[in-house]
Amino acid sequence: MSLPLGAFELTVERQQIPSRLVRMAAPTASVAFGLLVGAVIIWASGQDPILAYTEMAKKGFGGRLALTGTLVLATPLILTGLAAVVAFRMKIWNIGAEGQLILGAVASSGLGLWLGDNGIGGPVGIVLMLGAGALAGALWAALAALPRAYLNTDEVISTLMLNFVALGIMNYLIFSSFSHWRDPGRATFPVGRFVDDSMFLHRFTGRLHIGLFIALAAAGALWWALRSTRWGFEVRVTGDSPRAALYSGMRVDRKILSVLMVSGAFAGLGGGIEVGGVLGNLDPRALSLGVGFAGIVVAALARLSPIGVIPVAILVASFTNAKPGLQVLGIPSEIVTLLEGILFLCIVGGEWFLRNALRLHRRVGPVEAAAS
Amino acid sequence: MTDESTPAASTAEPATVQASGGEPHDAARLNAITKSFFGVPANDRVDFDLRWGEIHALLGENGAGKSTLCSVLAGLYHPDSGEIHLDGERVDLASPQQALEHGVGMVYQHFRLVDRFTVAENLALGHPETGFVTSRRSLERQVAELGRRYGLEVSPKAAIWQLSVGEQQRVEILKLLYRGVRILILDEPTAVLTPQEAQSLFATMRAMAADGQAIIFVSHKLDEVLEVSDRVTVLRDGERVGSVETAEADPATLARMMVGRDLATPDRTRATAGGAALSVRGLFADGDRGLEALRDVDLEVRESQIVGVAGVAGNGQRELAEVITGLRRSKRGQIFLGDVDITRASTLQRIKMGLGFVPEDRMRTGMAGGLPLASNLALKAYRQPPLSKGPVVSQKAVEERARSLEKQFDIRGVRWAMPTSLLSGGNIQRAILARELSAGPRVLVAAAPTRGLDVAAIDAIRQILLDERDAGTAILMISEDLEEILDLSDEIVVLYEGRIMGRLDPDEASPEVLGMLMAGRTVDATPETAKDTA
Amino acid sequence: MNDSVLLLSLASAIVIGTPILLAGLGEMMTEHSGVMNLGVEGMMLGGGVVGFWMSSQHSSVALSLAVGAGVGALFALIHAYLAVTLRVNQIVSGLALVITGTGFAGFVGSSNDSALIYARPQSFLEPVFGESMQDLPLVGPLVFGHDWVVYMSWGLVAAAAFWLFRTRAGLAVRSVGEDPASADTVGISVGLTRYVYTMIGGAGAGMGGTYLMTQIFATYQHGITAGLGWIAFALVTFAGWRPWRALVAAYVFGALRNLGFTLQILGASVPSDVLNALPFVLTIVALIIISARPAAARKYSAPSALAVPYSRETR
Repeated sequence: MSLPLGAFELTVERQQIPSRLVRMAAPTASVAFGLLVGAVIIWASGQDPILAYTEMAKKGFGGRLALTGTLVLATPLILTGLAAVVAFRMKIWNIGAEGQLILGAVASSGLGLWLGDNGIGGPVGIVLMLGAGALAGALWAALAALPRAYLNTDEVISTLMLNFVALGIMNYLIFSSFSHWRDPGRATFPVGRFVDDSMFLHRFTGRLHIGLFIALAAAGALWWALRSTRWGFEVRVTGDSPRAALYSGMRVDRKILSVLMVSGAFAGLGGGIEVGGVLGNLDPRALSLGVGFAGIVVAALARLSPIGVIPVAILVASFTNAKPGLQVLGIPSEIVTLLEGILFLCIVGGEWFLRNALRLHRRVGPVEAAAS
Repeated sequence: MTDESTPAASTAEPATVQASGGEPHDAARLNAITKSFFGVPANDRVDFDLRWGEIHALLGENGAGKSTLCSVLAGLYHPDSGEIHLDGERVDLASPQQALEHGVGMVYQHFRLVDRFTVAENLALGHPETGFVTSRRSLERQVAELGRRYGLEVSPKAAIWQLSVGEQQRVEILKLLYRGVRILILDEPTAVLTPQEAQSLFATMRAMAADGQAIIFVSHKLDEVLEVSDRVTVLRDGERVGSVETAEADPATLARMMVGRDLATPDRTRATAGGAALSVRGLFADGDRGLEALRDVDLEVRESQIVGVAGVAGNGQRELAEVITGLRRSKRGQIFLGDVDITRASTLQRIKMGLGFVPEDRMRTGMAGGLPLASNLALKAYRQPPLSKGPVVSQKAVEERARSLEKQFDIRGVRWAMPTSLLSGGNIQRAILARELSAGPRVLVAAAPTRGLDVAAIDAIRQILLDERDAGTAILMISEDLEEILDLSDEIVVLYEGRIMGRLDPDEASPEVLGMLMAGRTVDATPETAKDTA
Repeated sequence: MNDSVLLLSLASAIVIGTPILLAGLGEMMTEHSGVMNLGVEGMMLGGGVVGFWMSSQHSSVALSLAVGAGVGALFALIHAYLAVTLRVNQIVSGLALVITGTGFAGFVGSSNDSALIYARPQSFLEPVFGESMQDLPLVGPLVFGHDWVVYMSWGLVAAAAFWLFRTRAGLAVRSVGEDPASADTVGISVGLTRYVYTMIGGAGAGMGGTYLMTQIFATYQHGITAGLGWIAFALVTFAGWRPWRALVAAYVFGALRNLGFTLQILGASVPSDVLNALPFVLTIVALIIISARPAAARKYSAPSALAVPYSRETR
């Protein structure tokens, strides 16, 4: 591939190790480009892009209320992002964080309700609840992991399908049955029963709850585990070459199982935290917002770095947080989703610059070649 | 000991033969072709000419630039500079398609066949005369006809994955003939064939040359080149050394042109073998396609002994290595390490018991190519101190160990965080050996230990293996390279269709006898076969 | 007899199955070229909303379907650029497309001056065949009771099957999906093929979305596809990448959407939530069964190079 420019030509070359400058510049330029595209669309629709952007920044980060709201929204996103990071690192394409999160929410609210019914609550209840969420997420992921590990069943499709099965289960529990989860007092407009107040996660300021710190700790733990443990070493080797892993005596099937279940556990924990920290019950209306899919994009933008997931998730959450505020100003809130999509596409595309270098050469024409 | 660092003395006179007047133009003429990859020239101002009706061998070692030159002529690579003339006309070949339109086609070492398509579908694919609606029946009839004419028979309805490697190669050639190719390039075509299959290929090549077509035959095997070609061009280190008429060539001259020095006389020192370290008894196993790949294999490798397993690729060598190292299940039979039965042991248990393995697929099995070398050197040792304490791996210890192994085994070109796959083949193989030998194995299984390496690296790797044998390790060496088998082995076994066809003493074995056994003929005259299961 | 609940629900399964079929067939073409586009739901919404807008402006249903298909193809073009030219991870790119398409539909649909939520299509399609044929027992409602889009979708299934497995062009696209390096050596442009078929997939999704909004619901609402795009994606796997199987599977999936309603009338109560999940359960089961049987896997598994980017000079 080359583009002639007078006596010079611009060529594209593959590169293996991008320079530090490029690693910083590529995403910045991509974001700028995405914002520009978004601005054109906003402008074309008769709105003021500058106003829209400043409002988005204000509603996302301006002030304590905006900031805590953003951080609360970022919490499950960090966890689904981590779910994607750990699986994608091993080239296991778990796109089922959505369903794993839902099952986590189902299990933790279910256990929370049962504990409450039996007079157990407080910190013990919280720990049990969150544990149940993580466990349920892991087990739900195992439904895809077992066939993947032992029959080589494509996990992209199976994890994706399980999302909708999980959604069906949750909807059934609240809308179509008089289950343990459903509030029996609300027959016409079904909602989930609320867990005991003593099992709500501790709140610091505004709506900010301890779940954020659990998510941050999870990111740190994953970073450490991938970098410094035998398990992490095995994940890295298996991700790069399953054959090399088998060759060096690793059990690839177990690694697939453990990675997918850890991935599911992160997402499931996210579901538990949503129940304990935000919702208080199993709420299908709040739990089908695409936080699992967004987590995958977050992980990709963070280049599969567990720590990198944190800022990216917060940024993405700030967008979501800005939605209601924009609506008030007469800017359609869906512009935010559109902008989010455009930015994702641009940044993902910008990764190309990390793998390729544009170089300017003096052209080597046939004349010179013949002369030499 | 050979002196590998002698600069290539220009012993060979560049003996270009001028085109004789019969044909108006050469089939192909390449002038001063230069092509570099990542700044490293693979071809450096190479001239090459090809006449109609000739089989022109392109001889050279691995990495001499043969494949690159052919890929340039076949339109796969665009040369950085230089000219291509086809039948007297200057052409610019931007794609394999354009080359095909000019009647140039290449059979690559890795076949370009769609696995799940039938033979007929593969032929129809991309053929300009395939009608818009594909008629299976007429297509299949045409394929069968073409096959008969050149002795390339293969069932047109069979899916590619159902065919043997030799049959797949026939499909590749058929594909090009079907497209009306007049200049056929065969890149190391015999590497995957049995001697019989190779003979039938040579017959096809002669039939085509007699038809007036031009054939480029890429090889690094002298005997084949002398047997089948009309003319030979030798490449070395990306440059053309010279061309000679085959009739006027002798093996020694060609070898010198190819290597740039005289071939080393093999080092024949022997160590005295000790007790049995690896024993295989009555082993049966299936291959990837569910067919029996190993049938009743008996083997014994003793301490301080190299047992060479000879055979044409695909006769059970890979399965043998995998079953012994635990990567593949056996159906019947037993494997002993010393006197411990390891038939049911996991790969990890075998590693811990002192079984080392140098696999033939270095980049994906022997190494995780995308990871840095330090990680790859730790692939097996990461489980124990000092690299890890409990579940925690010390990155520092991993890197320190890597640095000391790099020095000890002279691994060059390593940069921090660089993917291992960017190292040269020789350095990668040194690294694999460094990792396997640093574990102090009792038994080492080495598959194709020097395949694709340059001469210096081959010598170094062989010396490492010999030293390791002298230090007491039992080595099972699987190789398709007869020279290597004859030079290094203390005992030779030949695998054919998963069976051991014979056992030979290298001092008494000749390439002819080995060739017969590799082709599946029992040799009554060899007394060694009687030594079976002694 | 033609009023029986079973027959009516089968007929309506064909109706709801049609957008699934259109989008699924498109995605099947895309996947045969080796590109996996997870963005079906987004392309259905994005293409559909513009098609719906067209239908509220103009009485030609064909025009609105064409506009929807065109916009869907443009969305797919983004994916093609990212996946084929820039070789990014196709899962990530596809999911980003879902978000973009959803956002686009929401934005266009709720823009102050368009307010598509209150708009209605100007015209609705009538069954192609006359009353007398529609009244035929059994085949009347099932075969002769539909509008032309349904018959077109049958035609498209036949065309796709013929195209993929009986023509030179089909051989070319399947080779690109199976083994792009081989296709490249025989002069088939891997990149161009993948662009074209990715856009065909987008067109199918956009047309399916338009049909859903203009002819089935006759209204636009936020998130109106309600997962039909994902069902269409599942359809490709469930049908083993074969068009005729996709036709049957689309109507099975369509029937499951309606089954709850039917069963309720018949006195049995299976919650719709469970039934809505059934297509996905069936797809998982089919996938596992196929992967457990190597012979079936050879025949009905994904194209070998699905979601694998291709570049020529990888040495």
